Amino acid sequence: MSASPATPLLAIRSLRAAYGKIEALKGVDLDINAGEIVALIGANGAGKSTLMMTIFGRPRARSGTIEFDGQDITGVPTHDIARLRIAQSPEGRRIFPRMSVAENLQMGADATDSSEADRASSLERVFALFPRLKERITQRGGTLSGGEQQMLAIGRALMSRPRLLMLDEPSLGLAPLIARQIFDAIRTLNRQDGLTVLIVEQNANHALKLAHRGYVMVNGLITLSGTGSELLQRPEIRAAYLEGGRRE
Amino acid sequence: MSAPPAAQTSRAPGAAFIFKKALISALVALVLFSLMIGVRTEAGPQGQLIYWTRFGDLAAMVATVFGGSIVFELLRQWWGPVGTIRVVPPAVQSTLSLAGRLIAPVLLVFTFLVPVIFYNERYILDLGILVLTYVMLGWGLNVVVGLAGLLDLGYVAFYAVGAYSYALLATNFGLSFWICLPLAGILAAFWGVLLGFPVLRLRGDYLAIVTLAFGEIIRLVLLNWQSVTGGPNGVTGIPRPTLFGIPLSAGDDGLAAILGIEYSPTHRIVFLFYIILALALLTNWVTIRLRRLPIGRAWEALREDEVACRALGINTTTTKLTAFATGAMFGGFAGAFFATRQGFISPESFTFHESALVLAIVVLGGMGSQLGVALAALAMIGGFELFRGLDQYRMLVFGMAMVLLMIWRPRGLIGHRAPTVFLKHNQAISSDLVKEGHG
Repeated sequence: MSASPATPLLAIRSLRAAYGKIEALKGVDLDINAGEIVALIGANGAGKSTLMMTIFGRPRARSGTIEFDGQDITGVPTHDIARLRIAQSPEGRRIFPRMSVAENLQMGADATDSSEADRASSLERVFALFPRLKERITQRGGTLSGGEQQMLAIGRALMSRPRLLMLDEPSLGLAPLIARQIFDAIRTLNRQDGLTVLIVEQNANHALKLAHRGYVMVNGLITLSGTGSELLQRPEIRAAYLEGGRRE
Repeated sequence: MSAPPAAQTSRAPGAAFIFKKALISALVALVLFSLMIGVRTEAGPQGQLIYWTRFGDLAAMVATVFGGSIVFELLRQWWGPVGTIRVVPPAVQSTLSLAGRLIAPVLLVFTFLVPVIFYNERYILDLGILVLTYVMLGWGLNVVVGLAGLLDLGYVAFYAVGAYSYALLATNFGLSFWICLPLAGILAAFWGVLLGFPVLRLRGDYLAIVTLAFGEIIRLVLLNWQSVTGGPNGVTGIPRPTLFGIPLSAGDDGLAAILGIEYSPTHRIVFLFYIILALALLTNWVTIRLRRLPIGRAWEALREDEVACRALGINTTTTKLTAFATGAMFGGFAGAFFATRQGFISPESFTFHESALVLAIVVLGGMGSQLGVALAALAMIGGFELFRGLDQYRMLVFGMAMVLLMIWRPRGLIGHRAPTVFLKHNQAISSDLVKEGHG
């Protein structure tokens, strides 16, 4: 494991989760320190998304612990986890198509008890990051382009002023140029606001370049970890996820 | 009539396509009707089977289907679905949008004046009360189906709970209408939550089946629990509502005597009219307020994408339960009103037919649109009365009108969803342009 300073913001110890009889996580250990970007890479069905969803309380962990800021959140209901200001942008964006951009963003703030002032300042922050959303403010979510929808999904997650932002495949189905914009925005968030980010990606090259540290997941287990650049150098990573398995 | 989605491949299918389709429809009609209409059977005087053929009627029927199918297809091309872009002159467009904005206030003012204008027409007043009852039921169900997207086929159960709550409390304990009204609402809301719990994990078709069964269970309990509900005999002698304790009766302590005016039974009808109007407006007001609050927004988000709601940390359990409870509460209010208006209730008033009718109003109105639901209730209940002169063809004409309306406006009368968060100016974007369901 990495040489982690003090206590990490999120600490996962031998976490197991399953869908019925199929075990998706077979004892995962993972740390996320405050202020860092952590990338979780791996092939389809490795359990990356499951790990993210288990952190968020659904599916429930079978065994193991998840600690957020020193507090055990294993088995805490999803809506209570959201109140601790962990936010996620789910796989496939999942914005609300018939609701306007403004309403979509407000939905992000609804789960936490946000005051009007909080909402206004979060909204400003989102618009500063994604000016495109401001232009589209009255438009229905479903009329946005794929990239704009991804911006909306991230913006929506940011509305709850998260301490930990979890992004599931933010570059999925996006043109390389748009994907780069999204990654740039994540980097900006991290540098300017010190936002802690867990990013789940199949686009290993981009994700590892962006991240401070990375974890590689295979069949429900973490097989490798290290800094982003370290992992990028590893021949087995290059072989499995970059040269051969690279998407786009 | 079968309707393959061939229209999607080509915008305007040719004559051959229309002809072929009409031929298929006619063939289906021939098979179906050959026994239903072609052969007439009856029991003879000694109980033996007598039958004779009616090939003329059969031929007429098949020809009608053939011709109807062609007309139908032509009409479809004529109007086209809402998605087609048509060039409308700006002047007409602005007039239409003005009319659109004015229709609600005009309708409201007119409704307020109905008892004044039609004071001497008892029939219209009664019809108005009936329409308003369904407007209220529609608005109540709209919370569950239109906003939260939970398909509820047993809404009549809450209507029944409200009606029986008032009827039993009033006849057994002598409580007044105004005390029982909130109680009926609370009891109905309680039953709404009770229904909500087992169906939390269900969606779509499965939810519809359970709610349908729930509606039937309530009706069957009312029918069979004779000692409490009176069974099929129902509850009689339900007291009429009073104005702050003053009855609207012909007696010396009645309102007419106190005011020193001549008594007329119309007073009570007008009074009832304004009660249901007030109740309906309350329903509307509460719904509009709730839509702007996080809970109302959560209902709509739930309709759009339940998984996304969970990902945002929305508590879907409470969101669903509050939707069921709120919708049920309004159903309960309407039920209490129904009981006091009728003075007599029995399980026969709470069949599945009522649920279907209210659901049709919501769907026809455009799920989630308050004005649309009101217009649909007016069209459904009022229109049904309008066609009364057609006797046995009433259902046929009415059904055809509904089919045509759904072709013309597949999203209901008012399919446009008004946003609830406003920032400076609004851009009107037709909901028809929005891709459905995919994120």
